[in-house]
Amino acid sequence: MKHQMIGNTLYFYFYGDFDNLAVQRIKETCIQLIDHFEPSAVKMDFEEVSFIDSTGIGFVLARYKQLKKLGSELILCNLSRANQTLFHMSGIFQIISYERSGVKL
Amino acid sequence: MNEMTLRFLSNPVNEPFARTSIVAFLMPLNPSVEEIMEIKTMIAEAVTNAMIHGYEGHEDGWIEIKAVYDEAGILDLTIKDEGCGIEDIELAMQPLYTSKAYLERSGMGMTIMDTFADDFKVNSSEGNGCIVQMRKQLHGQTEPAH
Repeated sequence: MKHQMIGNTLYFYFYGDFDNLAVQRIKETCIQLIDHFEPSAVKMDFEEVSFIDSTGIGFVLARYKQLKKLGSELILCNLSRANQTLFHMSGIFQIISYERSGVKL
Repeated sequence: MNEMTLRFLSNPVNEPFARTSIVAFLMPLNPSVEEIMEIKTMIAEAVTNAMIHGYEGHEDGWIEIKAVYDEAGILDLTIKDEGCGIEDIELAMQPLYTSKAYLERSGMGMTIMDTFADDFKVNSSEGNGCIVQMRKQLHGQTEPAH
């Protein structure tokens, strides 16, 4: 996982498997980065993510709640078709917005 | 007919190993990219449930996966644990229901398995482990890979 702060937006870039093991490893860092920067928006880039499961959905929903407390927005970016299918199942796009983002590291 | 059984400890590092091993076993069926993704996700959900809910994060419980397929490409997966079991299966099946919200679980695992499998059964009771059975018809790749 990599990140960068541009203006008031915090970008997270995820790589490879976004499964239970991976989420356990990055969760605390993400929580702390959000608390540290208090960004007005967080963009999560999934372009390089090859696998995602319900643990990933749980992580995204939890960060959405964390950001909501700060009055900040969460935007998901660059999901593959397969990954979008999984997110759609959870109804996540009813509360979290999605975009194609070209902002890279 | 072909069959394999994989038995491993409930350590989280074993979950990616389990899903990639089962998918490797299915390669003679020439599954499509979409089928591979769906099977991997089904296994990830069942195994993660066993680790997090069945064994409640303890890494010394056994998880067993049996994979069987026939000439028609029908795959039967059985994922078994000897953990704490499920008190109320109907409740556990509800989309977005989770008993472990504090662990940031989404409550989508059962729904995802049910969606990707053609047939999905959970057999469990409190204190008696859990058996998840999933059937899926594989059609393979419609065109040879280039």
